Amino acid sequence: MSELTLIVIRIGFLAVLWLFIFIVLYSLRSDLFGPKLTPLQRVAVQSARSRESGATPTAPSESADAPTTVTERASASNASARSGDATRIVITSGPRSGLELDLPQTGLTIGRSSGSGLQIKDDYTSNQHAKIVRWRDQWVVQDLGSTNGTFVEGARISESTPVRVGSAVRIGTTTFELRR
Amino acid sequence: MTHQAAPRDQAAPSNALQTGIVQLRDVTEAIKVRIRNPAKLRNLELFLLIVAWVIAGSAMVLVQLGALQTVDLFPLQLAAGLGVLTLALHVALRVVAREADAIILPVATALNGLGIAMIYRIDIADGVTGWDAASMRQIAWTGVALIIAIVAIIVVRNHRVLARFRYLAMAIAFLLLILPLMPGIGRTINGATVWIGIGPFSFQPGELAKIALAIFFAGYLMTARDSLSVVGRKVLGVRFPRLRDLGPILVVWAMCMLVLVFQRDLGTSVLYFGLFLVMIYVATGRRSWMVIGVGLVALGGVAAYLSLGYVQRRIDAWIHAFDQSVYEAQGGSFQIVQGVFGMGQGGLLGTGLGLGRPDITPYANSDYIIPSLGEELGLAGIFAILGLYLILVSRGIRIGFQGPDDFTKLLGVGLAFVIGLQVFIVVGGVTRLIPLTGLTTPFLAAGGSSLLANWLIVALLLRLSDSVRGRGIV
Repeated sequence: MSELTLIVIRIGFLAVLWLFIFIVLYSLRSDLFGPKLTPLQRVAVQSARSRESGATPTAPSESADAPTTVTERASASNASARSGDATRIVITSGPRSGLELDLPQTGLTIGRSSGSGLQIKDDYTSNQHAKIVRWRDQWVVQDLGSTNGTFVEGARISESTPVRVGSAVRIGTTTFELRR
Repeated sequence: MTHQAAPRDQAAPSNALQTGIVQLRDVTEAIKVRIRNPAKLRNLELFLLIVAWVIAGSAMVLVQLGALQTVDLFPLQLAAGLGVLTLALHVALRVVAREADAIILPVATALNGLGIAMIYRIDIADGVTGWDAASMRQIAWTGVALIIAIVAIIVVRNHRVLARFRYLAMAIAFLLLILPLMPGIGRTINGATVWIGIGPFSFQPGELAKIALAIFFAGYLMTARDSLSVVGRKVLGVRFPRLRDLGPILVVWAMCMLVLVFQRDLGTSVLYFGLFLVMIYVATGRRSWMVIGVGLVALGGVAAYLSLGYVQRRIDAWIHAFDQSVYEAQGGSFQIVQGVFGMGQGGLLGTGLGLGRPDITPYANSDYIIPSLGEELGLAGIFAILGLYLILVSRGIRIGFQGPDDFTKLLGVGLAFVIGLQVFIVVGGVTRLIPLTGLTTPFLAAGGSSLLANWLIVALLLRLSDSVRGRGIV
């Protein structure tokens, strides 16, 4: 075999080795840069972001707005982020920060008991603490008579309260939000 | 997840019955997606596995072309047998762990194949054949390791069960560590008493002990992380843990020092302590544990340097490697210098597989397999190999990061880190970044115990990643 062929084969082998690495990295791209979005989804994400940054200061006053009926609120949230779109729960702070779970269509129970859909084990959480259920086409959080309360956007809730995508729900030391 | 069932809801009528139907449809939609996704992962794995086979096979053919100038089919047939076993592991994953990570198995296969090709190349240079050849034994051990990995992935359906056996794991680790010290079965090879010998077989139980230790540490830290995170007084701007919580780290440190003194194995001792240190840091998130750990390593290192002759020789051979007296001394720097010059000979693209002289370095197929590969594949090849390790370790840490519970998180990070630290200790040793210690290079180096342990780690990581449901590659 001629010298030149050997050199070509040698460099070819190294090329295959690196090709393997680049194929692996290419298949990991969604892990590194997040999932690929369709143009429509990208627009939705961008508008949701700009709305979030604009709407944050007004959010507490809106939730304190007692006479608003739930149907009105549902239509209001139709205009902004529809919570019915949420398919995941992301824990944003607390001991299990970073955890993501699927939000089943049938809802999710939260509490210290092992039967809870989202189990939070700390001293501030009751056994059956709260429940996230789907009501009409939005997600609603209900406090199940917990000792230390459930907070939506910083305000303690006493009745079923709709939660929007991205608004913070706090139970004990754990804060989570709904995501699409 | 890619499925976007939500927009359909906008059309959902308020009629309760019809809403129910819509929700049912969404649920079935979700099920369909869940079945389709894992198949995607496994198909990606199969594709990458085929590329890994191509790499391993062509490495072997190139070795033969370079060193023998002909193609001998027999070793290739044996290697193909191993390929069938990795395919069997892939099929087992399709059945019992469909959502497992798709990258780990092909990367481990590629590394193992490159290792076998290099060991085979050294055998050709040394002129050994049959069962005397390290490559034959390596192929046999790889087969055994793959079968054990397949059995492990089929038997261990839920790795959280392992948390229940944490104290059993501790006992096993302890037993494995003291086995080489038992009279009769313990063997001392090159000064280190880390081997047991039964008949013609020798085995390094410390390799398996690292898995048992990772399981024990994960199980223990899962329960102890709360008390270990409690902070005590503040010294020099760093909050240190309470004095009474220092017990566990001192016990592990003492264990590693005993390994250092009685088994005379620097690398293993550093490996175990590093594993514990990283896992306690991950469990508590307190930097003060790192400060304490590094302090204890420094203390142990200085004490070992002053009192243990072999540690002193290792450090001398590291710092004064090119001194004529150190180079010529018994247990001096001859091996290090040979390895460094070998890698230098390789240059950027290497001499080509089968065309260099890696065999003149002692232990060219085990401790020094990295310089052997560096000589024949060059800097480009070594960086590719280190890149493969990087991918492997980062996948493991990613699995740990996404783990749904503390035990999974700690075990994933621990198992991945132990591979990473071992590669660092070996490659750092042969490139003179740190003192040389006799650890094996995972998947590459000749040695059955190391292969067995690392394929078991692969099986465990795959099992762990399956429990991180649907969070692989979307």
